[in-house]
Amino acid sequence: MHWWKNEHWVRPDLKRYRWLLFWSLVLGVMTFVFAGALMFTSGFLIDKSATKPLFAAIYVTVVLTRAFGIGRPVFQYVERLTSHNWVLRITSHMRRKLYKVLETDAAFVSEHHQTGDILGLLADDIGHIQNLYLRMIFPTVVGAGLTVIATLLLGWFNWGFALWICFLLLFQILILPWWGLVVERFRKAEQKQLNHDAYVSLTDSVLGLSDWVITHRSQEFLDQSLAAPKKLAASTAKSKRFQWGRDFVGQLLFVLITISMLIWTNLEWTGSQTSANWVGAFVLVVFPLDQAFSGIAQGVGEWPTYRDAIRHLNDLHPVKRKLPKQQPVPTTFKTIQLKQVSFRYTPTDPELITDIDLTLHAGEKMAILGPSGMGKTTLLQLVLGDLTPTTGQVLIDGQDVLTYQQNRTNLFAVLDQSPFLFSTSIINNVRLGNENASDEEVAAALKAVKLDKLIAQLPNGMDSSVEEAGFAFSGGERQRLSLARILLQDAPIVLLDEPTVGLDPITEQALLDTMFSVLKGKTILWVTHHLQGVSQTDRVVFLEDGRLTMNDTPQHLAEQNQRYQNLYALDAGLR
Amino acid sequence: MTMLAGFALVQAFVILLQGKFLAEGIVHSWNRQSLAGLWMPLGLFALAFTVRQLIVWVRNRIGARFAMTGSAWLQEQLLKHLYALGPAAVAKEGTGNLVTMALDGIPEAENYIELILNKILNMSIIPWVLVAYIWYENWLTGFTLLIMFPIIILFMVILGLAARDKSESQYAGFQKMSNHFIDSLRGLKTLQLMGISRQYANNVYEVSEDYRKQTMGVLRIAMLSTFALDFFTTLSIAVVAVFLGIKLMDGSIPLYPAMVALILAPEYFMPIRDFGTDYHATLNGKNAMAAIWKVIDQPLPTDTKVLPAFDGWQDQDTLSMQHLDFTYNDKRAGIHEADLQFTGPEKVAIIGASGSGKSTLLNLIGGFLQPQSATITVRGTKVPHMTQAAWQDHLSYIPQDPYLFADTIAANIRFYRPSASDGEVRQAAKAAGLSRWIETLPDGYETRIGEGGRGISGGQAQRIALARTLVDTNRSIWLFDEPTAHLDIETEAELKETLVPLFKNRLVIFATHRLHWLNQMDRVIVVDGGRIVAEGTPSELAAHSKPYQALVHEMRGEFNALVEK
Repeated sequence: MHWWKNEHWVRPDLKRYRWLLFWSLVLGVMTFVFAGALMFTSGFLIDKSATKPLFAAIYVTVVLTRAFGIGRPVFQYVERLTSHNWVLRITSHMRRKLYKVLETDAAFVSEHHQTGDILGLLADDIGHIQNLYLRMIFPTVVGAGLTVIATLLLGWFNWGFALWICFLLLFQILILPWWGLVVERFRKAEQKQLNHDAYVSLTDSVLGLSDWVITHRSQEFLDQSLAAPKKLAASTAKSKRFQWGRDFVGQLLFVLITISMLIWTNLEWTGSQTSANWVGAFVLVVFPLDQAFSGIAQGVGEWPTYRDAIRHLNDLHPVKRKLPKQQPVPTTFKTIQLKQVSFRYTPTDPELITDIDLTLHAGEKMAILGPSGMGKTTLLQLVLGDLTPTTGQVLIDGQDVLTYQQNRTNLFAVLDQSPFLFSTSIINNVRLGNENASDEEVAAALKAVKLDKLIAQLPNGMDSSVEEAGFAFSGGERQRLSLARILLQDAPIVLLDEPTVGLDPITEQALLDTMFSVLKGKTILWVTHHLQGVSQTDRVVFLEDGRLTMNDTPQHLAEQNQRYQNLYALDAGLR
Repeated sequence: MTMLAGFALVQAFVILLQGKFLAEGIVHSWNRQSLAGLWMPLGLFALAFTVRQLIVWVRNRIGARFAMTGSAWLQEQLLKHLYALGPAAVAKEGTGNLVTMALDGIPEAENYIELILNKILNMSIIPWVLVAYIWYENWLTGFTLLIMFPIIILFMVILGLAARDKSESQYAGFQKMSNHFIDSLRGLKTLQLMGISRQYANNVYEVSEDYRKQTMGVLRIAMLSTFALDFFTTLSIAVVAVFLGIKLMDGSIPLYPAMVALILAPEYFMPIRDFGTDYHATLNGKNAMAAIWKVIDQPLPTDTKVLPAFDGWQDQDTLSMQHLDFTYNDKRAGIHEADLQFTGPEKVAIIGASGSGKSTLLNLIGGFLQPQSATITVRGTKVPHMTQAAWQDHLSYIPQDPYLFADTIAANIRFYRPSASDGEVRQAAKAAGLSRWIETLPDGYETRIGEGGRGISGGQAQRIALARTLVDTNRSIWLFDEPTAHLDIETEAELKETLVPLFKNRLVIFATHRLHWLNQMDRVIVVDGGRIVAEGTPSELAAHSKPYQALVHEMRGEFNALVEK
């Protein structure tokens, strides 16, 4: 129970909108109370009528029968709407909360949650918690409420009998679900693992298909792809068989309740005809209640899934960074200076950046080259202030860049390898750069990045969605769209992190030309994977094993540096 | 199926008996008779009830086995078809789609089969047996129940359609909002870079609330159909009860038929209520099944064994493809009237702007696509397409991002030839320039890579793919599709140093954007808009071919200044 105390995803939400929650539970109970009451009054009506009384004697019962008959579906309808409304309200809160937690680590969220699709899984976890409420908690509480009501009502007549029925009902809401949990516990864990294995093996089969096809080992392909799915299916079948067995036992308990009612009414309600008229009522009331109890064990059976979801979410913690006191961001600056900057993630990790000194003047354009995985992106993250140097400082006119994090976007704009396009209109996507930009300004930015013609062809122009049917932006076009964002952002320093990787040279050259022309006058720090476009910069540095190995103008390097000449010749296709 | 229907019929009669004995029990007590006489109907009621549950259990088992066999068959067919259709079909469907289809679609289809078997059988058998009996006991009640059935169905259909219209009219907005959240998480970094990630939290909340309001709007109508179902069911029971009450009062019927009718009335409506509850689950299953069938229904390439097996690509061997035509179903450019010839071990580059058809051409040569028409001759044998087992046995295909299986490095290298010895694996790794790196790994060749394993850089992935090919010495025809497109220049230079000596004695067909590879090639094919516009040795083309000169000039971009110097 210790973890429940620190639980902060389910508990707070149970308190929020507690009236809505209360009413949806009350309505849930009322639905079944009315369903029972309908059969109760109907049973009584018939028994009573069989004694051939005057119509006036059954008039109230007739009215009640109709009222319960109409009331039950109305309650059920309202209950369903109320509970869904409640769950969806809670969902909005949970989503915002999950977003906020992940937002504290925004700069690294994709790196830290990359394997598989953890972000997707976290979103699914919220769905699991929805089901926790709708399928497990609500039915159990309603079942418990009905048990209490049934016990109290029967207790009015006979306490012993009431306790017996209470025992049988509790068996349904406690013992049967518990039995399921015990039996299914390992199987559920096994199924989770098998589901993952099946996912991996099917992904392997589908993505590795071109390799499989040319081996002509189709049988092996089938065996390997289907091994995990088959095991999963077998395990699921076992679960199902158990569930049917459990449902069977549940039904036997139910018939026991009916029989108990028949015997009890025969013993206690046959004293006079007036009381014998209640026999049918008491026996028939049992039947609709079955539905209230039969789903509980099934819902509780999913608890392992729900528990995992709760744990995942509770394991997320906001990332807290220690930043110095924040300062207002200057509108202009003279130099960015890296002073003996070194960086490693943790004391035991290898050093990624070692003792780098570098000065960049306002308006200068610098290219950073070097093999991948050698710290180029890390260097940009240090300049940006997303990472804190292990030793040394990044200074803007002598002021630590870490003090400018609050309004950093007025200072830095970033274009990386895979800019994200939100599934909304083009204009909204571009306007992310500056929410106050007018339509004209957005249009001007799109024209500057040469997307105006393409967009003019779309049915709704700038208002078209970025994923409009039959149309998808190519890699180069996506980069242009993000470049338009940056133009609206209008920050003095632009960091480019391999924006052209994977593009063909023609697209790449065109993009580079546009980029350098629209970013004229900005200070540019550009990480690139090869030399195309480098001659348009003022300076080139080589980053290798975390150290700067060359730092010169492209002209000088081209004339004097053997290694640079070789790479240049290769890139130009001359070697 | 017949057996299941038989069970359903038996179940209907057992339900009837269950109601009958219960009614007898109640009437017995109502007549104020003693407990001793109650045991008989009580026991029989309990027996009928238990038998009914047993039948349900048996039917579930049979139905599930049937559904499981059926869905397992579907899954196997799906994979068999994927294998036969090849990677091009996968690219068309989308890998994510296919994995979801093969993993989640199958249980959905299984559910669908199960539901059809149980719920629809129930609905088409049980109510009619019950209503016939009720009619026999009291025709007016029977009649009332009977006419209620079509009314319920009518209302469910009307309201179901209304709900569908409402949700369809909002579908686009709906989808967008339901994806908005995951979209926000994936775009978090971009939002942070734009400096709006913090205030965006409220946007997440507001969109979610808008979504809630719209969902509730749809639910209000969608749940009306369940409401109608419930309403008519309970109302019918209430009406029947009142009817029976009045009949009883004027003495036209005794208690027993009235009681049995009242008890059986809810049972009469039960199957349709069950069906209504599961209706949406059924729809998902139906859609999943339809999607799977769409893949299975695609025609498979035939005549894949026309080409006789051969011993490796020799000096005199030729592949000739004349009048090659291929068109896609969508807007992509295909290949038109292409003539190609490859003789013996030679190195041929395919160049062209992106979208010009380089990859399509490679896919046609590799047999991953089949041309609509062509005259193809391989080593003197006429074949309809290159999807020939004998051809693909000698093939190796290395794309921009080779796929690494979730397994060890050694297993990945051994993929084409599982029987390769450890020594052979090491040798191949060495030739691919991997051995030094592998030796620095704590688990060496046993390091797990791919999904859930160690991350691998683009350059190393290319080298592993290369080693994979080298282990299988049969594979002397190498197809490359822009293997170095997203490597940095130095990694590319290193990989090139490894690759070029290995090209010797092999037929290498190399689609690329990178000009420096052309210097290693015997021949260059220039494609534009799906047509071959120039072909020849690099120096010939550089000297005489206008399309080649234009393309190279454009690809070289700003480096032209240097070349001109």
